[in-house]
Order: sequence, then C-alpha cells, then structure tokens
Amino acid sequence: TMAMAAAGSVRAALQVSEVLETIVSCCLGPEGRHILCTKPTGEVLLSRDGGLLLKALHLEHPMARMMVACVSSHLRKTGDGAKTFIIFLCHLLRELRTITDKEKDSLFFKNIQTHGRHWKNCCQWKFISQALLTFQTQILDYVMDHYLSRHFLSIFSSSTGKRTLCRSSLEMLLEAFFCGRVGRNNHTFISQLMCDYFFNCVSCESGFEEVSELVDDCFVELKVGVTGLPVSDSRIIAGLVLHRDFSVYCPAGGDIRIVIVTETIQPLFSTSGSEFILNSEAQFQTSQFWITEKTKAIMKHLQSENVRLLLSSVKQPDLVIYYARVNGISVVECLSSEELSLIQRVTGIAPFVLPQASSQYKISNTALVKFCKPLILSSKSYAHLGLISTCSFIPHCIVLCGPVQGLVEQHEGALHGAFKMLRQLFKDLNLNYVTQASDQNCTSSTHVHKNSRESNQLPEIVNSSNQRTYQGTVVKNEDELAKTHSYSKVYSNLVVSSKELETYIPCSIPEVTPATTYQTDQTLRCLSPNKASIIDDHEPFIESNSASSTRENTRIEISSENAKVTETAEKRSLLPVRYKSLEMSASQSYCFSSIPAGCVLPVGGNFEILLHYYLLSYAKKCQQSEEAMVSIVIANALLGIPKTLYKSKKGNYCFPQIYTRAVHALQTNQPMVSNPAGLESVAGKYQLLTSVLQCLTNILTIDLVINIKRQPQEIYHQDSEEEL
Amino acid sequence: MSRLEAKRASLCKSEPLTSERVKATLSVLKGVVTSCYGPAGRLKLLHNGRGGSVRTTSQSAALLASLPVTQPVSKILTTSVQNHVSCFSDCGLFTAILCCNLVENIQRAGLTTTTAITLNKHLLSLCTEYLKSEICACRLPVDFGSARPLLCLARSLLTSKPACLLTREEVEHVAALILRAFLLSVPENAQDRITLGKSVIVPLRGQRVTDSTVLPGMLIEIPEVQLMRILPIKKSDSFKVALFCASLSGDLSETGEGTVVLSYGVSLENAVLDQLLHLGRQLVSDHVDLVICQKVIHPSLKQFLRTHGVIAVDRVGVALMEPLSKMTGTQPIGSLKSVSPSSYGSVKDLCTAKFGFKHFLHLIPNEATVCSLLLCNRNDTAWDELKLTCQTALHALQLTIKEPYVLLGGGCTETHLAAYIRHKTRDEPESILRGDGYTQTELRLISEAFCSALESLAGSLEHDGGEILTDRKYGHFWSVQADSASAVNWPDLLLRCGCGLYSSQEELGWSFLKGTHHPFVPQTCLPREASESASDLTLDCFTAKLSGLQVAVETANLILDLSYVIEDRN
Repeated sequence: TMAMAAAGSVRAALQVSEVLETIVSCCLGPEGRHILCTKPTGEVLLSRDGGLLLKALHLEHPMARMMVACVSSHLRKTGDGAKTFIIFLCHLLRELRTITDKEKDSLFFKNIQTHGRHWKNCCQWKFISQALLTFQTQILDYVMDHYLSRHFLSIFSSSTGKRTLCRSSLEMLLEAFFCGRVGRNNHTFISQLMCDYFFNCVSCESGFEEVSELVDDCFVELKVGVTGLPVSDSRIIAGLVLHRDFSVYCPAGGDIRIVIVTETIQPLFSTSGSEFILNSEAQFQTSQFWITEKTKAIMKHLQSENVRLLLSSVKQPDLVIYYARVNGISVVECLSSEELSLIQRVTGIAPFVLPQASSQYKISNTALVKFCKPLILSSKSYAHLGLISTCSFIPHCIVLCGPVQGLVEQHEGALHGAFKMLRQLFKDLNLNYVTQASDQNCTSSTHVHKNSRESNQLPEIVNSSNQRTYQGTVVKNEDELAKTHSYSKVYSNLVVSSKELETYIPCSIPEVTPATTYQTDQTLRCLSPNKASIIDDHEPFIESNSASSTRENTRIEISSENAKVTETAEKRSLLPVRYKSLEMSASQSYCFSSIPAGCVLPVGGNFEILLHYYLLSYAKKCQQSEEAMVSIVIANALLGIPKTLYKSKKGNYCFPQIYTRAVHALQTNQPMVSNPAGLESVAGKYQLLTSVLQCLTNILTIDLVINIKRQPQEIYHQDSEEEL
Repeated sequence: MSRLEAKRASLCKSEPLTSERVKATLSVLKGVVTSCYGPAGRLKLLHNGRGGSVRTTSQSAALLASLPVTQPVSKILTTSVQNHVSCFSDCGLFTAILCCNLVENIQRAGLTTTTAITLNKHLLSLCTEYLKSEICACRLPVDFGSARPLLCLARSLLTSKPACLLTREEVEHVAALILRAFLLSVPENAQDRITLGKSVIVPLRGQRVTDSTVLPGMLIEIPEVQLMRILPIKKSDSFKVALFCASLSGDLSETGEGTVVLSYGVSLENAVLDQLLHLGRQLVSDHVDLVICQKVIHPSLKQFLRTHGVIAVDRVGVALMEPLSKMTGTQPIGSLKSVSPSSYGSVKDLCTAKFGFKHFLHLIPNEATVCSLLLCNRNDTAWDELKLTCQTALHALQLTIKEPYVLLGGGCTETHLAAYIRHKTRDEPESILRGDGYTQTELRLISEAFCSALESLAGSLEHDGGEILTDRKYGHFWSVQADSASAVNWPDLLLRCGCGLYSSQEELGWSFLKGTHHPFVPQTCLPREASESASDLTLDCFTAKLSGLQVAVETANLILDLSYVIEDRN
C-alpha cells in the first residue's frame, strides 16, 4: 500500500521530531535527568544517552525510524550529540514550516500550474533541500573558516611549538561532556577518572592520538563492570584485566613469559572432514600414548622457554590443563578474539603455532609480563596481567562500579563516547568551500591556525584564473544550452599531490544528489575528453608552484569541472537565482582549510550562538535571497539548542540574558566568556551540524512513503528477479 | 537465517514517581522489607501455590530472589539490593529500607530533583567521611587478640535472623562454631598477603542445633554400603592421595571433530579398560592410599584398587575439588597415562565418622586451613535459613579482616548518625554546601528528610508497638516495651541502649524519636574503655553497612532522577 505523505513529509517529520524532542530534552545538559528503559528480558537500563533511548523506543513511524537511523550513523562516527541532533532537527523543521507558511505563493510556486498540489509541495521541498546542500558545501565551511575560527581555543598548549595536551583543558572538556551523559552526582568523578586513565595510558607526549584510537577500538576489553558497589569505588588498575579467571593458576615470579594459542594443544584423533581408521586395539593405545607424549613434550618445552602463562581462545582438554599444572604454567581459556587481538596489539606477538615435527624449536612469539595474578572484584575472580607494551599505550583498565547494571552500562557508554569524541578531536577536520576571488584572499584564513602543528597541511589556493579556461570549453554547445546550464555545479574531482603528481586523492565534498533527471547527451559526451585535457594543461603550473614552495607537505589542488548541464525550461524559470551563480563562477576560487586538531569552544551554546550571529551577518551581506533565506533558517534553528539548555534557568542565567550578553560581546569585540566552565569539541559540533543537515535533506527529498510487506531486499544479482 | 519479527513500539511514561501505581508498589515493597527487619522481624512464607517447597524467611537474599517484581522502578531498587547482597551478604534489608525511606521522604520535601540529589550526595559524603574518621563514635576497632568482638558480631547476625528459629543457647553454640570455623580458615603463618582457607558447610537436617559441630579437614559423604567395603582403614602416619578431575569411567572423549572408523572386532571399550587398569597398577605401585575422583570410576578399576588396599571415592563433584586440592596439596589429574609423582598429595589421617544418619569419610589434613561446619537444624526451611546466616556471618568476619572495624548495631549507629548530621547542618552548613549555590533552607529540608529516613530505619527494629527514644548525649537508640509505656518513669524502664554500650544509669536527656528534634552535639570519639567494659554488644559489619549506606543513597538518587520510563513490550 502506498501512503501519501500528507501535507508533505515535513509536517509529519515535524510532528515526530517534536515528540522525540520532548523526550530527549529532559535529559539534555547538566540539569538533565534519567530515563529508565526496561527490556523484554526484564533487565532495566538507566540512560541519558540519546542514541540508546531512541533505539529503545522501537518507533513505528517511518519518518521516526529514518531519523533514528540518521542519528545512529552519526553516533557511529562521533559518539556524541544524539539529543542535540533531535532538538536541532526539530527546530529546523519548525523554522521551515513558518517560512513556507508565510511564502505560500511567493517565488517558488509562481510557475507551476500543471502539477497537483502534492507534487508541488515536493518540488518546493526539493529546492529547499538543494539550498541546504549549497549551504553545507559552501556557506557553512566559509563561515566556520572566516568568522568562527577566530574564537576557537585549543586543547593543546603550544608554548614549546610541540603539541602537548593540557590537562586542565582536557578536564574541562571531559567534565562538560559527562555533564550531559551521566548522573548529576557522578559526572565530576567519572570525568576525573577518565582524565586519570588517559594520562596513565599515554606513554609519551605525542602518543595521545594513538591511545585515543586504541581505547576507542578496544574499550569493551579495557573496562570491567562491577555491580553491587557504590560508584565511588570505581578505579583505575594498571595492567590488563581479562574478563576470565585462570583455569590453572601457578604463582610465578621473575621472568614471566606468555604465549597465545588459538587451537587445542593436545592433538586430536581426527580433525573435521577427515577419517581416522582404527584397525586394532593396540593401534588405539599407541595413538593415545603418542597424543599424551606429544602434549607432555609441548608443555615441557613451553616451560623450558620460560613460558608461565598460556592464553587460549579455545577450551583446552583436561590433559593440557594437567600438564600445564605439572609444569607450573598458568592457563586462561576461552578468551574472546577481541581480547586476544588487544593483547597482540599491545605486545606485538602473534599466536603460537603448534610445531608439526617433534624436533626442538625456539618459540619466538612470546612476550614478557611484569606480573600475572588473580584479581578479585566483588567476589568474582579475573586474570590480571602486567603486560609490557610495545606501543605508546600503557595498558590500564577501568573498573566501573555501580549499584545496578544499568548504571554501570551508562558509565561505560559515556566513557566510550568520550574516547570517540577525543579521537575525533585529535584529528584535523577539512573544510572546503568556494569563495569569490574578489571577496577576500583565502590565504588570510590560514594565518588563524598558525599555532597548529608544523605538519598541518596548510591549504594552497589555486589561482582561479586557471579554471576559467575550461568553463568555456564545456559551454561551447548550442546557444540554448549555454544559457540553461545554470546547473553547472562544480565539483572538485582531483587533488594532485605535490611533487610527482602520482597520487590522486579524492576530495571529500559531500555528494550532491543530481537535481534533475534530464541530462543532454552532448554535454555528457564532451565531458570525458575535456577532463583529460585539464590535467595536461595544468602540469606546467603545478611544477612551477611546487618548485617555489618551501614546505614539503604542501598540497596543491586542481579542480577540474564536472559540469552537468541541464535542460529544462521549467527549472530555468523556477530558479532565477541560479543564473547569477553561473556568471560569478568565473571568479570563484576553491579554499581548502581545516579545523585544526584540538579546537574547542566554551560549553553552553557558545558554538550555536556564534554561528547564529555570523550566519545572520552573512545573510545580511548576501545578495542571493535563497542563500540568505537558508542561512537565516539555520541561524534561528541553532538558537533552539541554547534555549533548551537554559530552559529552567532564571534571572541572569536565563536564555535572553545570555544571548544579549553574547551578542553585545561580539559586537564590541570582547571575549564572550571570561572563564569558561567547560569546553566542547568544535569538530564534534561541526559534524553534528552537517549530519543534521544531511538528515533534513533526506526528509525533504522524500515525496512518498511506501509501505511494503517484506523487508527491503538487497539486490545482488540480476537473476534474483524471478522470485517476484 | 534469523527470523524477523515485527517489533512493537515501546510504552513511554513520563514522571514515573508521581504515578499512583508506582507509589503503591513502592510502599508495598517497603512494607514487606520493613516488617522483616531486625531480631523481632516478622517472617515471610514463600510458596508457589502449586505444592512446591515452602520457605520461611526474613532475609533479603531469599526474599528478593523470589519476590516477583515487575514494576521497573521497584525493580531498580530490588536489583540494587540484590547486587549489594551478592557482594557483601549482609545489610540487604538495611539498604532496601533506607532507600525506600529516602525516596519517600525526599519526594515529600518537594524540592527540585537536581537540588535534592546533589544535597543528598553531600550528606552521604558527610556520613562516609565521619564513619571512616577516627572521631567516629559508632565505630569500634577490632583487635584480633580478643575473640569477643568477633563473637558479638556473629551472635548479632544470628539473632537478627529470627527465621533460624534458634533459642538463646543455640545462638551461643552456633556463634561459637562460626567463629571457630572462621579461625580455622585463617592460615597460621601469614605472609604479607593472606589467602583464607575454606569452610565447607555440610548439611545435616533433622538433628538438634546443638549437635552442629566444626571439624578440621573435610567430610566426604559416603553411602553406608560403600563404607563397609572401605573398612577397615589401616593405621598410618600419612596417607598418599591422588585426586582425579578426569573421568575414570572408561568412556571415550575428545576424539576430535572428524569421524573415527573402527575395523570389525576392535573394541575400544576393552582398550580403554586396559588403560584404566594400567593406571590402577601405576597408582598401586606408587603406594597411593586414597583415590578421589570428581566424576565416575569404572567398577572394574574400583574393584582392582580395593583388592590392593586402595580406598577409592568417586562422584565428589566439582564444588569439593578446590578445597580438596588445597587441603591435600594435590594437583587434580587430567591424564589417564603416566601420572607425574609430583601430583600426589597427602593427608595426616583418614577415618570414618557417623553424624545423624549419614556416614562420612573424614580427611584430616596436616596443616588445616580447610574445615567443615556440620550444620544441623530442625527442619528444611529453618536449615536453609541457618545455612544462609552462617555464610553471611563467615563473610562478615572475612570482611572484618580487610577493614578491622565494627559498627554499633541495634539502631544506635543510625540514630547517632542522624544526630550528627542534624548538628552539622545546623552548625556548619557552609562546609556541606561547598558553594554550590544552594540555600541553607534547602539543605535543612533535605537533611531533615535524610535524618528521618535513618531514624525511621532504626525505628523499624520495633515491631510490637513499643516506644522508641534517643538520648541527648550519645544519640543512641533506646526502646521501651509497649504495655508498660504509659505508667512509670522513663529511665526506670530503659536498661541498655540498642547496641548495649550504655546503660541508663548515666545522666542522659531523652526525647522521642518520632517527635520534634532539638539538635544537640552528639559525643564523638568513643573512649576505648567504653567498648571494653561492655560484654554483650550488638555489632554490625562495618564494610557491608558502609557500602549499603552508599548504595541506598545512590539508588535513591537514581530513582528520584527518573523522568521517563520506556517499557519495551516485545
């Protein structure tokens, strides 16, 4: 059955998001509260984690399910921001509704007479979604780079020129992060715990990037949850705590070596898929004898090689356990593959392969440990290893205690999210946008980041005049086409690396859904030869540039134009604005900048208010009504986040007061916050913004909701059609 | 391929604590746990209505495990208490009642959630800091040179579990046994790290409680028929023991994942039996006196061993393996061929014993850190309750080694703490508020809720309508029996406080626990002689109670902080 998206999908989406907003906004920010989820199994889960809550709701509405899917994919990337996602999306939809209600008959509709009202709506939304995309690819990065970047603070102290992680800044960042994720009474404690943990694990000053990656990847193995104890009993333990107990424990001192095995040490009669033929009883006894002797020999040999601990991913037979005990080798069995891979990653050893021949051999894949002993946490015993690390991660474990499992899980989730956030924060985030050449020289923006690390690849801007030449070659078709090719949307396809021009790194501009279905054959044909010629033409230019460049890592970008020419009379009339952009494209230049690693802003809606302020001022300057409109919509919606945040505050801390103060500070060029209470990652906020805009674009481009009886099928082959 | 099922949407409710149903469930739960509390607590009869076994209990561990709680908010409370009990065994009811009281009182106080839970946390840290400090007047240090505080602790635990149905003499007897069992499990020459031995509780139902006893070493129950075959045991200074964890039944295992093809006429059973007998011969030639197997021993092997004067005991089960291995110093053997001589252990003596209708093989070790507590009680349910109590008491004693303190019991710690908090919030509110932006009035309200939660917890020790008072010098707990309340002069009726530390001889001011409170400064710093003079104190486990207090407040905070309940109905 098909269901029309009554009154456009936006109205439905707004309704859905408003319901979700009421739920998530109650656990947003430092004043947020808990939500209790019960599972069908009878377990209870306490959460302030937006992503978890949305999943637990098992929403039925298709629009809601889509939103939840968008949130999940955002969370997988960044680990934070699910609640803000919903609130921002809701405010965006609200803003859109108000402007469309107002402009019912304005420029969007004038020329549509032949279509039904529904399709009319759909077209309208599609244009808005295109405008949103333009915003995302051009305006947002531009505003971030030109205006917001001057407000950025860094989590690194850069006094020595080398990046060193500033502890107090990290504390402020984490404190603010946990404020929104764990209960009011515990966030200081948990953020302190995480801070200690992080600094304990980092062996050298530059290792924090690697550590944040490793901890994010292996977080499940690095934490131990304990129920029945107060939260304040949570602590950090040096070494690695395996989630298993020893099968055999033999206290050992001195030189303790470990090996990893992934199969049973005792040889078996037959492996799967083979047959073992027994002809006599004596043969059976001999083979059993051989098996015993072989096992005994291997274990003895391990012992002679100073191996005192056997880590096994499988359950070892009684015989192996017995000989391990006889030889004083401790055994931990049934380790998960994740645990083993963590141990391998930390120690750099590979699993021990059983020798085929019985001759003497040297076991190379062993690692030294400082200690190996049982650890008892609330009457459960664990194997505790003092691994000696070969990477910049010094193994430590976090023991998380709580009265109920739900709370422990909440803290685990929050910590994991925090490591994800740090991982993102320690990376540069690229910004790409198009500027008018006359507007400003882009290089000025790079000065903002001069305190970032030396290796940071500063963008080099291609001279816009080089591009103008192909513009002409593409548009040398018939007159009509030349006029209508307003959609010559520009993609930069090639990024050519400096010296040899060998590698081509694709640039990360979000893919734009082709707006129209009509593409003339002529233009498509003329594209490919054109492309080749561009590269040829540019070679001398690049060489000269790299020769003059002093920096090793400088990237030079060449943009070839992938022009998509559209030919619809209808479109032309609908988007008068687009024409202008064509004319101006001649003077466009491409900027490649970045948000440097470690950029932060004071917490409490600062990012939103700043972006709001600059978007509005951008919109004022902007000649194109469409761009201005989208900027204003987004700017207004952004304010929804601080509004929700300060909802319950009164007096000096209520939202209007804060907003007025902030705007006044911006107008008079004063710092917005004198001594910030907490910090938040700019990269995280930026990614959230783009994720929400992408989700909104998705919502706006939907025209029909089709209810199907079966799960959407993945289509692998052509011949699977017959089923239907 | 996994089956796909349509998911039902979840049910979402806001502000669960305001709902009448939730309130009702919480108050029922509170009623159940409160009525069980203390030596005079009422018993609960648990049955399934279909003729299954019944259980009479007043212990949280047994009660909460079988109580069918489905309401999510109550579920948090009960799981939290159960988790606490699984870590500490003791103070489950204390935690549950305190948590219920706190939720109820703080809700009634009508402050915003954030204010309430922040201040609650501050008050909790005030309590824990005080209880851990040297000036704390409701904590006694434990000197292991004297058995008295440990005995008092064991006795208090036994008396607080009325479902054990013990008389006064029986309590004394069992308390002494528990202490002996505990002391036997402490190694004699302890190094820097003490590894406690094990006390195995051996059930002996249908006997008198006073028949219970503690024996060093282990008791393995043996059917009478089998015992006849073992007898007589030869006299010796030492007995060599072999302990098998592998099955000696002659079945084939671990042949791999592939197939084994047998030629006609080949009998693997014979081959394995040959192997077993070969093993038997090795054991005999190694002069092993006792063979113990976790699993089954093949009858032929058993017979073979018996004819060579070796005692064979099988099917001892996995639970006894660890203490057996520890006590005899053996390595459990997992091989049927070539047993390493280093795997054998020994026992000092071996004898048979009969307790009640049961026959046991008694293994007496050279160096005892393993002992058996033979526990008797009249009927099954009382035995279950007594066993649970003994385990709790043993655990509490072990915890006392880690933190050598005990808390005053009988409600005195609670009333004293309440008095201390009242005094602190009135006299030094700034030190508690720590500049968090909360007012003193808010603090006063929360502290009132917190203190009355503690006091009504102490008050739930009284189930017979008696009057409860507190003195205005120490802040201890005093109770007066119901019938005599109206007639005579108060101090004449009050003999000793709840914990038994103070008598009413001294000049003490009295006030009703439920009445209005006149804050006073409770005397801190317990004088050393005070604890030594009193002979019969009621004591509580320090570690368990401290953790219980923290868990109760944290759980109450969690419950108060709930703004939505999302119920997955799949």
